[in-house]
Amino acid sequence: MASNRTFTSPALTFELVARCSKTRARASILTLPHGTVNLPIFMPVATQASLKGLTPEQLESTGCRLCLNNTYHLGLKPGQEVLDAVGGAHKLQGWKHNILTDSGGFQMVSLLELANITEEGVRFLSPHDGSPMLLTPEHSMSLQNSIGSDIMMQLDDVLVTTSPDKARMREAMERSVRWLDRCIAAHKHPDRQNLFCIIQGGLDLDMRRECCREMLARDTPGIAIGGLSGGEAKDDFCKVVAACTELLPDLKPRYVMGIGYPEDLVVSVALGADMFDCVWPTRTARFGNAITKHGMLNMKREMYATDFGPIEEGCGCPCCRPIEEEGGMGITRAFVHHNAAKETVAAHLLTLHNVWYQLNLMRQAREAIIEDRFPAFVHEFFRTLYPDRDSYPSWAVTALRDVGIDLLDT
Amino acid sequence: MTVDDQILESAAMRFEILKTALKDGATARLGRLGFAGRLPFDTPNFIGVTSRGALPHLTPDNVSKHLQVSGAYMALEDFIERPQAYSKRTPPIFETPMTAKHDTPLHRFTAMPPSGTTVLSARRLPAVQSPMGNTNASISVFTSTGFQVLTTNEYLSAVQTLRPDIAIPPADLTHSPITPNSKRALRMAERTDEWVVEWFSKLSADSRISTFAPVLPIAYSIQWEYISRLAEDCLPTSQLSGLAIYDPDLLPDLAEHCAALLPLPRLALSNPPTPHHILRHIALGIDVFTLPFINTMSDAGLALDFTFPPPPRPDGSSSSSSGSLLPLATDLSLPHSATSLTPLSLNCRCYACTSHHRAYIHHLLSAREMLGWTLLQIHNHAVVSAFFAGVRETLARGQEAFEVAAEQFTQIYEPEFPEGAAQRPRARGYQYKSVGGGEGKRNKPAWGKLEAKEKDGDSEGVKR
Repeated sequence: MASNRTFTSPALTFELVARCSKTRARASILTLPHGTVNLPIFMPVATQASLKGLTPEQLESTGCRLCLNNTYHLGLKPGQEVLDAVGGAHKLQGWKHNILTDSGGFQMVSLLELANITEEGVRFLSPHDGSPMLLTPEHSMSLQNSIGSDIMMQLDDVLVTTSPDKARMREAMERSVRWLDRCIAAHKHPDRQNLFCIIQGGLDLDMRRECCREMLARDTPGIAIGGLSGGEAKDDFCKVVAACTELLPDLKPRYVMGIGYPEDLVVSVALGADMFDCVWPTRTARFGNAITKHGMLNMKREMYATDFGPIEEGCGCPCCRPIEEEGGMGITRAFVHHNAAKETVAAHLLTLHNVWYQLNLMRQAREAIIEDRFPAFVHEFFRTLYPDRDSYPSWAVTALRDVGIDLLDT
Repeated sequence: MTVDDQILESAAMRFEILKTALKDGATARLGRLGFAGRLPFDTPNFIGVTSRGALPHLTPDNVSKHLQVSGAYMALEDFIERPQAYSKRTPPIFETPMTAKHDTPLHRFTAMPPSGTTVLSARRLPAVQSPMGNTNASISVFTSTGFQVLTTNEYLSAVQTLRPDIAIPPADLTHSPITPNSKRALRMAERTDEWVVEWFSKLSADSRISTFAPVLPIAYSIQWEYISRLAEDCLPTSQLSGLAIYDPDLLPDLAEHCAALLPLPRLALSNPPTPHHILRHIALGIDVFTLPFINTMSDAGLALDFTFPPPPRPDGSSSSSSGSLLPLATDLSLPHSATSLTPLSLNCRCYACTSHHRAYIHHLLSAREMLGWTLLQIHNHAVVSAFFAGVRETLARGQEAFEVAAEQFTQIYEPEFPEGAAQRPRARGYQYKSVGGGEGKRNKPAWGKLEAKEKDGDSEGVKR
């Protein structure tokens, strides 16, 4: 059912709005069961059905229309029975907009020692009582069906991308494909929940391409590129994203999992990715760090104790806007410094600011793509972020050059 | 018999007593209190208690949008710590510039909503007892970097710089649960007397700061000289705008001996532990309360659940036979809330009750997500706001109606709040000081030795 610019599947519509004339960047509109979201998009992570101290109303005020929940955490607390009784995660957290859930597999591997992956699923010891448990593709689907997320992710066999074991990497990639088939078979609500596949294959571009072909043959409504942000070199990361986006169809959303540094987002957009998530902006807020267009500022430093300017000059978030403006709070750096690591309010304020920054960065990128001035936007972004050209990261320079932007060109 | 409309007015403050009983002065009264540039509010009422300039867990946007709280109590000791590496620095708050709407340094620094009334005192509520004690010219305060000496002059100068709407002059208090002996009590009265005299002699006359003089938590007979001075010397010069009452049980004595002080608004700093105590203090004539228990209840995972006038008894009877008393709060950490889609308390119109339900708060408490405390703070402040609105409506119908409803309240609700089984937020050094040790930990440790790893893997570090 694909027209030139629109792709429709039972629970999702993807409309390509504009394309950058130089890079692979795209602007599009994704319509999900709980409303429309504009891509490219950053999705903040509400791990345990709460975005770290923000009310759903405050999160909504940042413009967020799609956030993450973690299946692993919700499966533990409140648990599947409660989710069923309450009627899903939207109802649980009072969130009217869209939710994306991961499969739970990543946490099994990252958080638990003694997780053992077999063809059947991920075998691990329960964090509650130490009893052996098994997460299968079927169980992951059942949990995500109970959560009721608008986008669910398949269970995949995750391996750190830097693993030298080629045979194991191939096994993981092929198993992820087989698990996708089991997920599709087990998915109970394809009419109102979208299941995305996850492309694996480590840093081996041929394996990634092979995985792309296998996954695309299953025709999921959206596609994720997984296994990244695990400590690989940024050059390798960009190569994998570029290799995948090259093969992916134009009219499906592309989600690069687990990335969130502003420069990673901007480069990935240029490489043709649409969706991103990361806990970093909200976690770093709780450590007292503010993300600004000039880089990250640690509000705990003494230099901010008597700084009565906003967290970021010119920022449009509710914290930074002056009290004289409608909806502005007139928060000063001095107040954040005063309460950082002391009162939870400081963490809430920085979380609000950082989420707003990330969403706004993607809004600006989108506008630039639509007005076909995205390369200029990228130049401006790096000029503002770094003191001079010599400090531009070489991985970004290389990756952008490959898609037609020369950062070092005047 | 009632008198209507007594008005006390100055450039900075206006207090109108709308209705009071004439009989002996120490009775409940209805009023309206307003400060220049702030939204006036009806009394009896309460103001929020801040920690380090913030209502705990509530960002200023949530305060303006979701709370009907007209003001906030702030403690200077929350702003004047001396970090070791910068021990000589001027506390940053004193350098705060103002803006058009944030028109005092205190409002600006704390990003307090401009319509809110600020009260500044030296110590937090409740204050941590100092092992050092006060001297003739200073009090001992507890900052986030430890105990510090604050001279009465330094305090006065801080107040003049920060420009709160209401300032409480320094008082010689012990902050100890033990009643001071008569010798100590006498010294408390003498020192406070001296300090207040000094305060009024130095406070610049044109400042828009309203002084609420402390009334000490000691027998009237020991502090009568000080209180008569307030009535005879300070009141006529219009320097005295109100009273800060540390023990509302002194109000009958005050009414009997110092009728001149009756038109002044009365702010209670007495930390009443339950709404039963609040009702008794209202009956004694308190106008404005500070209620630290609201913050404590939210941290304990408790959703307040009481109304005034009280609902009819659940079993329909009118007797006070116990057994069917209503709890003052619901412990949302208990399993029965796990799947409950009902509001935190029925008929509550607050944001937490209209947009969320018990099951969510239960989940947030069990996952130790900070939003749980935020939503409880919104709800608990709303319940207390509605309670005071009910008190005022009842008082408007007359003293007797209030007395009857207050009596019913004690017969319908349990005398104390439940304990609260939830884990509290992490305690900070400035909130709490071990006295003598052996209290036990409030929460289980978040970190442990690697080998002795807890089986209970849901600690903080376990997140993607």
